[in-house]
Amino acid sequence: MVSERKERLHRKAAMMAIVVALQALAAGLFLIDFMADVASEGWTGHLIAEGAAATALVVAVIVGAVQVRDLIEQARQDNLAVALARRVVADLIRLRFAEWRLTAAEADVALFAIKGADVAEIARLRGAAEGTVRAQLTRIYAKAGVSSHSALVAQFLEDLIDPDLAVAGAAVSAGPA
Amino acid sequence: MTDAPIRRRWDPLVKLTHWSVAFALLANALFTEGGSSAHVWIGYALAGILALRLLWGLVGPEEARFRAFPPSPARAVAHVREIAAGKTTAHRSHNPLGALMVYAIWGTMLVIIGTGIGMAGLPSGYGADERPAIAAGMQAGEESGEAADGEREEGPLTEVHEAAANLLYALILLHIGGVVFESRRQRRNLALAMLPGGR
Repeated sequence: MVSERKERLHRKAAMMAIVVALQALAAGLFLIDFMADVASEGWTGHLIAEGAAATALVVAVIVGAVQVRDLIEQARQDNLAVALARRVVADLIRLRFAEWRLTAAEADVALFAIKGADVAEIARLRGAAEGTVRAQLTRIYAKAGVSSHSALVAQFLEDLIDPDLAVAGAAVSAGPA
Repeated sequence: MTDAPIRRRWDPLVKLTHWSVAFALLANALFTEGGSSAHVWIGYALAGILALRLLWGLVGPEEARFRAFPPSPARAVAHVREIAAGKTTAHRSHNPLGALMVYAIWGTMLVIIGTGIGMAGLPSGYGADERPAIAAGMQAGEESGEAADGEREEGPLTEVHEAAANLLYALILLHIGGVVFESRRQRRNLALAMLPGGR
């Protein structure tokens, strides 16, 4: 999802950059033409209008460049947000596992469980019997003080979700439009 | 770059201006006749593209800005020492030697553009009959130096224009050499960062 959005932003930035470059070319030629006309004809009403148009084009180039910059920054911000979130979640998982005193094997199983793997998958990934994994999961649930797979996952999400977000979301859905 | 593992490519506008400038220089160095209208118009286009890159140095993303690669001989010397010591540090923008190269190339191009405009005049500044006169003057100047515009073509502007162009070719060769050298030293292809596509 995030990388798709990032790709879209990058594409948009590249397209905009081409447009801005063409505008810069046009602005340059327009300005040079304008200066040449002023040099040969002096200031006429027509040339004042032409000068204003050339100036507007230059301003458009500057504004366009700033927009391209913003698109690039936005795409990078997305990257950064994902990288930061990943680090935070990793920290949180390590912290909780330590707090629950999971053994190395249990921590491994718990990580797969949090990622959404079921007993059969975990058994296959670890090359263990399903019965072993089931027993490990039971011990993990007991140590974490939960009674189900979804409750285990919720333990992490609960800490990560900003309580204000729920209120804001409700307000948005209750509001007009 | 402090977060070394993130390998960034140049932003699209840096790439676009880099290659536009490269093609414009190539065209005017090899394919257009000096003083011909194609040569002059490509020169104006080059001026527009360079102006955009300089604007980008003020408003662009961090690594494209002038302040990310100040022209600092002291840092360049430190960088040379690093090379001698066999150390590599990652740089977010141009490395200090590369930065000096960038300013040298830009400065030389500005001289070329300035003298070029000085010789050709502004595009509609000369009439339809004056334009061929420049080319004619150029040729006559080369052959006998007696054409009406002969002295203009042979004047200091021409000499500076040509000398600056030759300097620029040398700088470009050095630039390419620098990219190859630094790529080997860092064992990663720096040129990839300037290729279109990617992020």
